[in-house]
Amino acid sequence: MNEITLIIDGQEVKAKEGMTVLEAAKEAGIDIPTLCYHPDLTPYGACRLCIVEIENVKGFPTSCTTPASDGMVVKTNTPQIHELRRDIFELILTEHPNFCITCNRKERCQPFDICLRNVSVTERCVICPRNGHCELQDVADSLGVEEVTLPYAYSKELPIERGDPFFDRDYNLCILCGRCVRVCQEVRGRGAIAFTYRGSDALIGTAFGWSLKESECQFCGACVDICPTGALMERTSRWEGVAEYQVVTTCPYCGVGCQLELEVKRGRVIRVNPKRDGTINQGQACVKGRFGIAEFVHHPERLTNPMIRRNGNFEDATWDEALDMIASKLGKYKENNEIAVISSAKCTNEDNYVAQKFTRAVLGTNNLDHCARL
Amino acid sequence: MVDKDNSSGNSEIRTVLVCRGTGCVAGGSDEIYDALKQEVESLGLKDVKVDFVGCHGFCQRGPIVDIEPEGFFYTEVQVEDVPEIVQSHLVNGHPVERLFYHDPMTGEAISYYHDVAFYARQKRIVLRNCGHINPERIEDYLAMGGYEALKKALFEMTPELVIEEVKKSGLRGRGGGGFPTGRKWELCRKTPGNAKYLICNADEGDPGAFMDRSILEADPHSVLEGMLVAAYAMGATHGYIYCRAEYPLAIERLEIALKQTVERGLLGDNILGSGFNFQIEIKEGAGAFVCGEETALMMSIEGKRGMPRSRPPFPAVSGLWGKPTNINNVKSLATVPVIIAKGAEWYSSVGTDTSKGTVVFALTGKTRNSGLIEVPMGISLADIIYEIGGGIIRDRRFKAVQTGGPSGGCLPASMLDLPVDYESLAEAGSIMGSGGMVVADEDTCMVDLARYFLAFTQAESCGKCVPCRVGTRQMLDILERITRGEGQSGDIERLEKLAQVVKSGSLCALGQTAPNPVLTTIRYFREEYEEHINKHYCRASACKELVKSPCQNTCPARIEIPRYIRLIADGKYDEALAVVREKVPFPAVLGYVCLHLCEARCRRDQLDEALGIRALKCFAAEHDTGLWKQNSKIAPPTGKKVAIVGSGPAGLTAGYYLAKLGHEVMVFEALPVAGGMMRVGIPRYRLPGEVLDNEIKEIENVGVEIKVNSKVESLDELFKQGYSAIFVGVGAHLGMNMGIEGETTVGVVDGTDLLREVNLGKKVDVGDKVVVIGGGNVAIDASRTALRLGAKEVSIVYRRTRAEMPASDEEIEEALREGVKILYLAAPVRAMSVNGKLKIEFIQMELGKIDASGRRRPVPIEGSEFTDEYDLMIKAIGEQPEVPDRYMLSVGRGGRLEVDADTLVTSREGVYAGGDVVTGPASVIEAIAAGRQAAISIDKYLGGGGDIDEVLAPPEEEVAAFDIEEVEGEKYRPPMNMLPLDERLKGFAQVELGFNEEKAIEEAKRCLRCDLEEH
Repeated sequence: MNEITLIIDGQEVKAKEGMTVLEAAKEAGIDIPTLCYHPDLTPYGACRLCIVEIENVKGFPTSCTTPASDGMVVKTNTPQIHELRRDIFELILTEHPNFCITCNRKERCQPFDICLRNVSVTERCVICPRNGHCELQDVADSLGVEEVTLPYAYSKELPIERGDPFFDRDYNLCILCGRCVRVCQEVRGRGAIAFTYRGSDALIGTAFGWSLKESECQFCGACVDICPTGALMERTSRWEGVAEYQVVTTCPYCGVGCQLELEVKRGRVIRVNPKRDGTINQGQACVKGRFGIAEFVHHPERLTNPMIRRNGNFEDATWDEALDMIASKLGKYKENNEIAVISSAKCTNEDNYVAQKFTRAVLGTNNLDHCARL
Repeated sequence: MVDKDNSSGNSEIRTVLVCRGTGCVAGGSDEIYDALKQEVESLGLKDVKVDFVGCHGFCQRGPIVDIEPEGFFYTEVQVEDVPEIVQSHLVNGHPVERLFYHDPMTGEAISYYHDVAFYARQKRIVLRNCGHINPERIEDYLAMGGYEALKKALFEMTPELVIEEVKKSGLRGRGGGGFPTGRKWELCRKTPGNAKYLICNADEGDPGAFMDRSILEADPHSVLEGMLVAAYAMGATHGYIYCRAEYPLAIERLEIALKQTVERGLLGDNILGSGFNFQIEIKEGAGAFVCGEETALMMSIEGKRGMPRSRPPFPAVSGLWGKPTNINNVKSLATVPVIIAKGAEWYSSVGTDTSKGTVVFALTGKTRNSGLIEVPMGISLADIIYEIGGGIIRDRRFKAVQTGGPSGGCLPASMLDLPVDYESLAEAGSIMGSGGMVVADEDTCMVDLARYFLAFTQAESCGKCVPCRVGTRQMLDILERITRGEGQSGDIERLEKLAQVVKSGSLCALGQTAPNPVLTTIRYFREEYEEHINKHYCRASACKELVKSPCQNTCPARIEIPRYIRLIADGKYDEALAVVREKVPFPAVLGYVCLHLCEARCRRDQLDEALGIRALKCFAAEHDTGLWKQNSKIAPPTGKKVAIVGSGPAGLTAGYYLAKLGHEVMVFEALPVAGGMMRVGIPRYRLPGEVLDNEIKEIENVGVEIKVNSKVESLDELFKQGYSAIFVGVGAHLGMNMGIEGETTVGVVDGTDLLREVNLGKKVDVGDKVVVIGGGNVAIDASRTALRLGAKEVSIVYRRTRAEMPASDEEIEEALREGVKILYLAAPVRAMSVNGKLKIEFIQMELGKIDASGRRRPVPIEGSEFTDEYDLMIKAIGEQPEVPDRYMLSVGRGGRLEVDADTLVTSREGVYAGGDVVTGPASVIEAIAAGRQAAISIDKYLGGGGDIDEVLAPPEEEVAAFDIEEVEGEKYRPPMNMLPLDERLKGFAQVELGFNEEKAIEEAKRCLRCDLEEH
């Protein structure tokens, strides 16, 4: 791919042909605020925050949609752009509760803290599942917005959609960036959700207002992961707040090997995110990995140590006890070649390799099969 | 048209063409067509053919029937008229005159199509075949030279040559963008790729626009031919016509046309054996306005939600299905065949330097003629509105014209001279747009208009980008609250700020242009916004929350007109008068002489005739029993003294209310009599002296003291005498000069001077032959007074025509009846004294361009001078105030005092002013309104609450709102009793004697009770 050179904010920037102005700027470490932009999705140009000025181009093009070209001269932060960006961002904030975003105390509050601001409950950051990792808060900080002078344009007062498993949809918090719609269509190839209605009535929704279950949703959670606000939030972690640390692991549900990032707080997995740079899954997961981990990890009935049935009851045992028992019992069947092994698709390739090795080399039989073949 | 085989030998075949465009079909033209066919067939008329055509453009007068070859033009034809047309016209050869078009200005019946003014000023290139051919027959189109351009392009021109020709023609995109069409084609041609698309954008969505629709319905082949030529030029293989599904007739006729072209080898593979292949498909749109935007349109064709996307990439590079695509409007494409057939030079000879050719408008709104028109670029707005449109319905005042639909702007009267081209319109803040042109008159509120258009764009916004979706909503919320009377200070600035964000920040043209109606109305009609916000007043009487009834809203003193009219209808005359008295201390004077601005806004006028509100008020005043005095209160003395300078309606009204608030009021009058212009300006035959005496007496009864013969020389003096506040209401008594040679010649007098002298009882000799210059009420008063003073011959010379005359119609009528002659379109240029005789030289005028007042400007005709001799020339071309310098008040244009518009305070603290001295010559009622406002302001200044409102009438019983069922056909004003003509000129006896009781009740019952209407 050809290399091109452009000038962004007086700085010479090298970029690859086909890149957008925004990508070129990001690569050069120049920060441009965005909301509807997402690197995994085709450019959209709806939030209008990434506007720039380009020599010989009329008006304020959006950097996310404008292809970078050789010799282009771009300004990303003139006073005029800054003002227009703030004005546009203010407009966004009239469609969304905004005390939570402009509050000067927002960094110090945690769930269950008491909000000292005299605002309605629904406008308090502490009740928002996205508090602490809300992209609106980030943009507000970068633009230095501390006050919204415009009135709330309208109160949508939409009922929260709670009819589906795993996550709720609260479109009162939606800013219509369209990331969920696009990820569902472009990345997951489903199209379970779309824009409905027009003008200020525009809303994300399903065909005919069906539930997600009825509209071909696979509950992969990609929309939840990509949502910049608290509009889409999985139910189990809604009140958990910000994690203490992350643990990267491989999803145990199947052999694909999706990389997951477990968010841990007080020793418990509070949320699972597909790892963005996971080679296998590249930020995606299926319903099991996305929503099925924490529940099963912390399930009271989960087996955490070996058990041996004695006198009709399962009793806790040590690994040595258990392994000894298995070895002795298997050994009985080895001589007469009475053993067959079936391995699971939930196991990784490596596990399956070891299983066949063990079967052939240790148990000495070729009676080996795999559930995926059945 | 001559049919040689006709059995009757040499007689011509006549063709009866019935318009079957959507407008005429809605009016019943399908039935008319069938009836005509049947009638002609049953009578066996062999030399008559009945056929139909598409839209003529004059839908307002539809259904239209046109008889060729003569071109007889029948309008508003009904099925019932068919036998008469056939029998009288086709059989007996007597055209049916009653169905001819009647010119709205002259009333003249016009028999032929080409003589109708609506068509005379048009230049029809795009609409060349509309209304002349049967749109469902390709033979008709071929007969008009159709598809010749295609043949020429295919066989005589290379694609590059075609593009060159279109570029040379100067054709620009008629969808509104105005991008040069040839260049657009070239871009698409130059993009590599073997699959290219051509899209015809027929997604016409502007409210009130029907240009594309009419063309598709009346001449679909012109669009198809244009597409074929365009496709050949750019190398497109596949075409789409994106037409909204709401245009079923257009789609039907397009489908017929497509079938016909395929059958004749004009469409498909190897067209006419040239090797050129092209297919056309119709794509029906679901009617989203935004799908007129090209990227959204392509999304829609692809089956996606119609949402615009950012450009680049432009459609010419990556459009439909990612292929190079060219999108042209219906009108652009329909123009192409003419350009190819007649050549670029011919086309570019029409229009201006940068905007070539013609432009099609859907002219709608308050013009007399409305419909589809085509005019050369560069024509002025005034020519369109007044020449083609025939001016404003019911002679209302033109207020604004909206071009470019919801994306365009509203231009005021001062812009009427503006040439219609892309650049001029853009500079004025509007756009050419795709051809919507909505004309508004004084009944249209500019804030409401902006609100309407923004509500449209807001609802039609796709919702994708933030500035358009949220910004327009915020703007609409502000506009809505302003029209509800809940506007806040700073709202105009907020609107301007938001508009800027929406314009600069939006993704597509819908958002970028959506604020235009708001910005232009703020730019040109800011005062209307301010009135809504600061005074909760809508001058157009359009914003329902602010207006109880149009008459009351229009009355400067806000008299509760519908209520007192109801009381008259109920026989409660004294209660009716009490209602009037709640707002004004001169009910009888107003009953006689009010300019009744209210009547001009009466809704009944739209049914038959406006109510005689003034005469009813007069009737109530004549039946006063003094009931109103029961509730009239005077506050205890405040110990504050107020001086009023001038005893006209403004001064006395202010004094009256100030006295009732407990202040000590002294009125100083320079003349020997009180009443100001009511006394010395209005002739006695219109306002008897005792009527005024009685009402002034009531004012004195509340404690107002009037000192006549006391001219106030200095305001300082009054302050020294202990007056805490002063009201200056000295009126406008100084007649204006005409600025002609010999103006001071003996025998030239001033109209106001003459009327004053006469009213003061002085003897005035006017001689035998008198000429009055001017066209206002003073001119009429002076002429009728001159007659009463013994003049034998009185004529008025006015430089414009009757239609422009500012004097009230009823006064002009009475003057003419009494024998005054009026010479229109002439003006004096010189006055001289020859042998003791006054000789006046006049020049004839003609009406030129429309000026900012919406009237045609008079222009002298060179060499048309003529002279005449008179005994007296009275100039009555206007008056102006004359305020002594020693008052030390700030004086503005025309000698008028400058005051704060809301409080009426002058440049000096404690000094207020109102009436003619502030406004220039106006009306009694406006002076009274100013007097009321001054009383409020002065009372507040003196520490009071400024509350002058009174409840004098008993509360009204509940009355039902008006039910339209109550209207029993048209009903006009009963005639008033008038003094017989032969008695009038003997002296100054009252001329108009008013309604008797029966007539008054009859008239009052015509009221529509707009104030009770549910909002």
